Amino acid sequence: VLIRPASSQESVLQPPCGPAGLPPAASQTVPLPFPMSHGTTTLAFLFQGGVLAAADTRSSCSGLVACPASQKIRPIHSHLVGTTSGTSADCALWKRILSRELRLYQLRHGRRLSTSGAGGGASADLGGTSGGLQKASPSSSGPGLWYVCSDGTRLRGSLFSVGSGSPYAYSILDQGVRWGLTVEEATSVAREAVYRAAHRDAWSGNCVDVYHVTSKGWTRRKREDLKEEYYREKGRQGR
Amino acid sequence: MALFQVSGLKSYAELREQILPARQTHLFDRTNHYNFGTKTQEFAVPLGVDPSGFLGTCSRDGGVSIDLNHGTTTLAFKFRHGVIVAVDSRASAGRYLASNDVNKVIEINPYLLGTMSGSAADCQYWERLLAKECRLYRLRSNHRISVADASKLLCNMMLGYRGMGLSMGSMICGWDKEGPGLYYVDDRGTRLSGRMFSTGCGSSYAYGVVDSGYREDMAVEEAYELGRRGIAHATHRDAYSGGAVNMYHMQQDGWIKVCKDDVSELIHRYRKGMF
Repeated sequence: VLIRPASSQESVLQPPCGPAGLPPAASQTVPLPFPMSHGTTTLAFLFQGGVLAAADTRSSCSGLVACPASQKIRPIHSHLVGTTSGTSADCALWKRILSRELRLYQLRHGRRLSTSGAGGGASADLGGTSGGLQKASPSSSGPGLWYVCSDGTRLRGSLFSVGSGSPYAYSILDQGVRWGLTVEEATSVAREAVYRAAHRDAWSGNCVDVYHVTSKGWTRRKREDLKEEYYREKGRQGR
Repeated sequence: MALFQVSGLKSYAELREQILPARQTHLFDRTNHYNFGTKTQEFAVPLGVDPSGFLGTCSRDGGVSIDLNHGTTTLAFKFRHGVIVAVDSRASAGRYLASNDVNKVIEINPYLLGTMSGSAADCQYWERLLAKECRLYRLRSNHRISVADASKLLCNMMLGYRGMGLSMGSMICGWDKEGPGLYYVDDRGTRLSGRMFSTGCGSSYAYGVVDSGYREDMAVEEAYELGRRGIAHATHRDAYSGGAVNMYHMQQDGWIKVCKDDVSELIHRYRKGMF
């Protein structure tokens, strides 16, 4: 694997300094300087039409909604998207590093790195960050979905949801996700899951982003404000 | 009481006073240590013991560790035809599965139900005490206690012992003159009336399912299915919930027990067609 491990001395970034001002050994965990408060709902699942990823758009900092329109699903390249949860700064940084490394791989080898390779590279790079990434893409071996976490966990699966709103989303996904879904049905299940999580979880909300990844690349659905969905449902209920 | 005087029986308190003529007998009157006196506030706390301090020592790492179990999923919602109450049946003590067949609904009387989550001991004790007080109310005032009043009694019991280590999250459900009633009461004295509640560590999973399928004008069978699904999906994802779904339906003339369905069978039925 060509992605440089974090402990390499040639790493472009300076390793973070520990509390004593000395660079820590690669295996030590760096204590966080202050308690990081973050919450989100992101989800992704595989089905016959490829991979669907959805996320809310609220960035919170304890009780403050720091940004109601953030982008938690970032494309890494034409056939790979990653969802982010945890500290926004860390996720944004490592996403860009991952994109750079994958592009370099593509230029050197003339083909894209598979999702599992990208996942492996990402987990080697995530040093002292906090958060989880999901990476979704159809590679030459079909659609793939990996969950990568800052503690080095790397799991392959067909359905994941990450973040403080994930329990609310999981139950909707468990009910509705089947392999044989059409793209419209899958989108509707994903939107419903994010909507329910945003409704109950204080740290998720505002809008929902849905990305659909197929062998032809990713497509993005127009961002929808969940407030509209709430009022529409209220009208239907006649409450 | 007239009967006492006629029969010549002495009440327990009188007998006690003859044996132990101490001034503090009211603190040790164990048959009715809590009598909701508005003039005198009474607490049944042993003298010289500090419950919250004691419990603090019990939760220390490396020392004695009493894990108060919060593992459960209970849910209840009101709809046009009454109140549906659905609970799981797993009791865990830390990582040990104590039982998969616990009844977490206490049948206070034929028209009032209470659910239990948190510490099993606390829930059982205080809800049985509530049942006793509801019965006394019925006898004294010649009409049934309303759901609001019953939940208020439980709430006041919790407030009396607030900060002393109780752990209870309960929903009091019933049908009274105002119609179907549903109140959430917890160990901190919170008392909320609402249309739908879910408690326990599996509650977030249940909320997603019930929110998405709920309609006020559901048919009875649809409501049963929604309750079953809520618990089944929660037990699927939450390690501390499981066993069977115990479901009750509170109707105008009292509650009925709807079913006791094993969650593994339910989840296989629901997830047919998944990879």
